[in-house]
Amino acid sequence: MVNLKSVPSRSSSVVTRKTGSEYVLVPVTNNIADMNSVYTLNEPGAFLWELIDGENNIEDMIEALIREYDIDEETATADVFEFINEMNKYLIIKNQ
Amino acid sequence: MRSYNLYIAGYNIRIESSSDGPELLPSERFINYICFDNNHDIIIKVHSGKFNIPSEAEKVFDAPYVEELNGIRIKKNDRFWSIYKQRNNLYISTILPLSQKQREAILQFSLDKREWDLWLDSIDDETDPLEYPLDGLILYYLTVLHGDIMIHASGVSYEGRGYLFSGISGSGKSTMAKLWDIPGVKIIHDDRLIIRKEGKGYVMFNTPVYNNDEPFESKLDRIFIIDHGTENRIVQLREAESVSLVMSNCIQHNWDSSIIAGLLDSVSDLTRAVPVARLFFLPEKSTVDHILKNEKRI
Repeated sequence: MVNLKSVPSRSSSVVTRKTGSEYVLVPVTNNIADMNSVYTLNEPGAFLWELIDGENNIEDMIEALIREYDIDEETATADVFEFINEMNKYLIIKNQ
Repeated sequence: MRSYNLYIAGYNIRIESSSDGPELLPSERFINYICFDNNHDIIIKVHSGKFNIPSEAEKVFDAPYVEELNGIRIKKNDRFWSIYKQRNNLYISTILPLSQKQREAILQFSLDKREWDLWLDSIDDETDPLEYPLDGLILYYLTVLHGDIMIHASGVSYEGRGYLFSGISGSGKSTMAKLWDIPGVKIIHDDRLIIRKEGKGYVMFNTPVYNNDEPFESKLDRIFIIDHGTENRIVQLREAESVSLVMSNCIQHNWDSSIIAGLLDSVSDLTRAVPVARLFFLPEKSTVDHILKNEKRI
């Protein structure tokens, strides 16, 4: 279960490329059926993705999002948890 | 014959029967691609019989046999082709579904070698060594070797400018090619293209898909990601959207992160050099006028 002290890091199951202020993500797959899944992360998504370094925990990410986008804590918390949930397949979560 | 060379998308591919190999008889769709220049980029040695993939090789990628009927993809068989890897050696094991007899083939290759081996079992006296899906698989890994791009797309050339139309199944790639069937237009292909960087620009090439195909190429000036619409409309894309949409229509075997990174590099370079837009279109000639009017505005 992801909590405020969980530390996410990027797994090797996805290849990413920064393009402008956004990211393009291509998952590694072993089946042709999943082959053409390509995702983009918009600017706030890219901001959060760059915070995932195996050191920042969820709380750090929420604080950084509040500072960067001048939003309230409740919104930032919901956004970070939603992001982590959506990107779950491409993350390794370490619970402290 | 014992050997021949094909010139496809600027690649010179030499097919050579080994001493234990069969007589080679390229099928009709390759006839117009045979060339007499022996300066090959890759050589494929053809052997008769079964080859056993080493037991240490690990399966890294699987493809079921899917047929498309009226834009709907139907899985016909779980087993089609698979890729195995042992250190730098790669093996593709495939059935040949269009063959009269039940036949299988193994391609042994490496991305750092220019000599590949192909084993064909249950062969007659003469055989086409590039029966479906071997031709597409070999061409795909040639694009990987060269940092090129293989894409589901149609392409046309008009007044010295090349337009590429890509999209998901049923988005109208063939329809679009038919709309351009007007005097002065060269249809490069309506299904599959290879894009290669040449100098500062890009060139799109066709590949043998249909029996009457012959080699065509054109410089590439504009890429449209197409879909049917209620009006003709061109929508500009952000940089990441361009990369993502072109990438998602590329032929790609994403079992290896370095292969993915290579294609991402190639597609990123392409979309920086060639403008990409979305095109919603009506299946009528007004689409061509809309595209050409848009060209004049730019």
